[in-house]
Amino acid sequence: MTMTPRLARLSFYVPAVLYLAVFFGYPLVANVVMSFQDYTVTSFYDGGAPFTGLDNYAEVFGDELFSTTLWNTLVFTVASLAFQFAIGLGLALFFRRHFPLAGVLRALLLLPWLLPLLVSGTVFRWLLDQDYGVLNHVLLNLRLIDDPVPWLVSPDHAMAAVVIANVWIGIPFNMVILYGGLTSIPPGLYEAAALDGAGAWQRFRHITWPLLRPVTSVVLMLGLVYTVKAFDVVMVLTQAGPADATQLLSTWSYQLSFTQLHFGQGAAVGNVLIVIAMLFALVYLRAVRREQAGR
Amino acid sequence: MPARRSLATAAATAAVLATVPGCGLITAQTGPNTLTVADYYTAEPGNTALTEILRACGEQTGVTVVREVMPRSQLVPKLLRDGAAGTLPDLVLSDNPDLAKLASTGALLPLDGRVDTEGFYDSVLAAGSYQGELYGVAPGVNGLALFYDRAVFAEAGIEPPTTWDELRAAAAALTEGSRYGLALSAIGTEEGTWQFEPFLWGAGAELTDLDSPQAVTALTFWASLFSDGSVSASALNWQQSDVAEQFVGGHAAMMINGSWQLAALDAEEELDYGVVPLPTPNAGDRPATPLGGETWAVPRGERQEQAVELLDCVLSPDHMYEWARLRADVPAHPDVAERLVGEQPDLAPFVASAPSAEARTVDLGTGYPAVSQAISTALQRVATGQLDPAEALARAQREAADAS
Amino acid sequence: MSIPRATAGARRLGLTLLALLIVGVLLFPLYWMFNASLQPSHELLSIPPRWFPDHPTLDGYRAAFDSQGRHLVISLFVACGNVLITLALAAPLAWALAKFRLRYAALLLFVLLIVQMLPGIVKANSLFELYSELGLLNNTIGLMFAQSTLSVPFAAVLLRAQLREIPTEVVEAAALDGAGAWRTFLRIVVPMSRNSVITAGLFAFLFSWADFLFAVTLTSRDAITPVTVGIYRFVGANATDWNALMASAVLASVPAAVLLVVAQRYISVGLTGGSVKD
Repeated sequence: MTMTPRLARLSFYVPAVLYLAVFFGYPLVANVVMSFQDYTVTSFYDGGAPFTGLDNYAEVFGDELFSTTLWNTLVFTVASLAFQFAIGLGLALFFRRHFPLAGVLRALLLLPWLLPLLVSGTVFRWLLDQDYGVLNHVLLNLRLIDDPVPWLVSPDHAMAAVVIANVWIGIPFNMVILYGGLTSIPPGLYEAAALDGAGAWQRFRHITWPLLRPVTSVVLMLGLVYTVKAFDVVMVLTQAGPADATQLLSTWSYQLSFTQLHFGQGAAVGNVLIVIAMLFALVYLRAVRREQAGR
Repeated sequence: MPARRSLATAAATAAVLATVPGCGLITAQTGPNTLTVADYYTAEPGNTALTEILRACGEQTGVTVVREVMPRSQLVPKLLRDGAAGTLPDLVLSDNPDLAKLASTGALLPLDGRVDTEGFYDSVLAAGSYQGELYGVAPGVNGLALFYDRAVFAEAGIEPPTTWDELRAAAAALTEGSRYGLALSAIGTEEGTWQFEPFLWGAGAELTDLDSPQAVTALTFWASLFSDGSVSASALNWQQSDVAEQFVGGHAAMMINGSWQLAALDAEEELDYGVVPLPTPNAGDRPATPLGGETWAVPRGERQEQAVELLDCVLSPDHMYEWARLRADVPAHPDVAERLVGEQPDLAPFVASAPSAEARTVDLGTGYPAVSQAISTALQRVATGQLDPAEALARAQREAADAS
Repeated sequence: MSIPRATAGARRLGLTLLALLIVGVLLFPLYWMFNASLQPSHELLSIPPRWFPDHPTLDGYRAAFDSQGRHLVISLFVACGNVLITLALAAPLAWALAKFRLRYAALLLFVLLIVQMLPGIVKANSLFELYSELGLLNNTIGLMFAQSTLSVPFAAVLLRAQLREIPTEVVEAAALDGAGAWRTFLRIVVPMSRNSVITAGLFAFLFSWADFLFAVTLTSRDAITPVTVGIYRFVGANATDWNALMASAVLASVPAAVLLVVAQRYISVGLTGGSVKD
């Protein structure tokens, strides 16, 4: 049972690396290759798909929809991340305090995660409906609006609607991980600060925020990764409409592939998505490295 | 240590579940002499009807039939993957506009002379053909008609509309409070396009020429229903099942919908409705409805002969009758259709339009999906006021041309 | 503390009430799902909306019970399997990334982030081809591995951030005592970071429980499909049984909700342990 130290070290990460190669490397390479091919329905059956160089990318970048979807993806991602994170952090701080039932209530907040998106998306479709939705009903009764808001069917509001739903889905994730980060901050620091007369804001500013930094960057990075490729929630709520108002790179990629059957173009859009995420991942890693160097 | 204990618990649970005898949690086995059928009839009544008919025909032809049921949006992707992996099912039941793309892969068996389609409606056979060869046969088809609430019409003292002008006037007159005059689907998918096609074809336009003056006329009329306030803006997000729910809930005096809704509507005891053919631009025109419904196809493979035998049984008059009765489809054979109208009079307008119904893929083949997408997007751009009909259709024509 | 006990108690109760309010608002969509599971589809479209089912019906639950029992068992089995696979692969990897000073650690971390960007449909399509070669289609073990692609990179990134906080001296001390790398890892590192290990496991469970895409792509036989796919059964080609769909969603939430509350207790134990120590 004894291993040489070198072998033991290898055994920690080699299985995972092999796993990554099979389960991620293979699909990634396949997707990149496909984006350089004229891949059609026939290709699936007879395997033949001529290479066409950069044609798919030229088609995609030249499409009137490209700039729209890029902008939509940016708005959707930034808005979702900002609200998810802010609300998640607020809740994590709140549940950090000790009071009866805190644990159970906090656990219940994870429930939205369990629902298949078909279900939560459908419920949001009902809640946001212009004529019989609960949200408009409540807002009208509170006199916050004069006319029902066409949340899902007006190009001006549809993006707000999908962001609302996506924020709701993302809050539990942000809350749980930030809460985990908060619990690892030694309470002694707060007690010492309280003795020094630091107020709640000062304690947050000088203790919580700096010590939470590593967790914050992980949450934002993972949140970004999930938000940029969000797909189901948009498909259930608005089918990327009305009139492409909520068309994201992810939904467009799907439509190109499986509605219009231009698999090469769909793959190309998917790769654009991956490149965007790569840029953000590089930013994240630079931040991590600077942090490590600072220690 | 909690972490390890929970790990151990999870491991134990998994181990116990895996070893419960007969539980079969790892794989699903199929016996020999089994035919697999891929379809999307997940919900009732289609689900039970299909299972029953396949069971009966399986007994008759001496095979066991296993269904692979999946959500509608997953069927084509699954079949393409299956084609690539060489694991195609023995029979496929797909939406008829999807048949062209499946047939274009070369994976399907031509059915001419293999199954008995003697006397079927020409329109049904046209919808199952790709490049002049028959690849798909439907036991029943469906189309669109105008459903109206008898009580509301009686109260207002008006007759169901037969022309576009009457439709617009009636829809405006019957819009009141929380009730709209008309409900239809304008969703950004094929469902929205399919509901618009009767207007498009009614005006004399073609799918191959989306920016023709006729097409602009059709879209201008269609959009007027929205600008009058007779159709809810929410229609942009309604599938046809949502449209039916609006109608049943009393939120619309009329709706455009398909025959498959008849069974569900009949179950609503408080609802007294009538069905008439879709209004046309001028009195006396023939309604031009698209031909809808699912079609059977047989992928090439080792068991193709058995599959054809099974399909022949499904298409026999008695099973065709049973199928159409349960699903409220129009049977593919005029004689069977006539028999069924005797039992279900509401089906009459659908049967009347079946011979002249147009298959969506006849002119376009595999180019249809791109055109469909362009049309539904144009509908939404106009209904939301982003573009006027002529601009939207010009852009749609450009998009459709780009994509093909 | 100078605050009298009674006042502190009242403040805590106030916090609980506030928490109940927050949970109520955030979980309102779930209430609406429950509400919908008890009424006929078209009553959902009432104006004004019906806050309670006027004519409650259990038809939806009857339909759901009849069809979903088997799928729930499959979901549970697959989700537990995924937790095991995820922790077995991600925890050692995270430890290696956190403390081994690997030359390519940064690159590996980058890869872990990037791979999560792969659109699900791309992974599903490729795995389908791979699995059909390997005979792993319609196989729950195959499904577990496919779903683990959702949680392994996630858990590795999350755990790495937490494991870095473990003081190197602790590990060095164990090494001096002659413990091997694995022994140190299992006996010292994992217990010390049990909260984050449980959190990672919990998320692995949830990812798996909510997965639809892999399930629908890699399993097609009814006997082997998880409950997310089972729920789609009520979305028909032409009509939708919302009532039964929502009822089965409620049923599918119950076992997982119980698990959440149970796992929550472990996290609380870790928490109080930590505060007592300081």
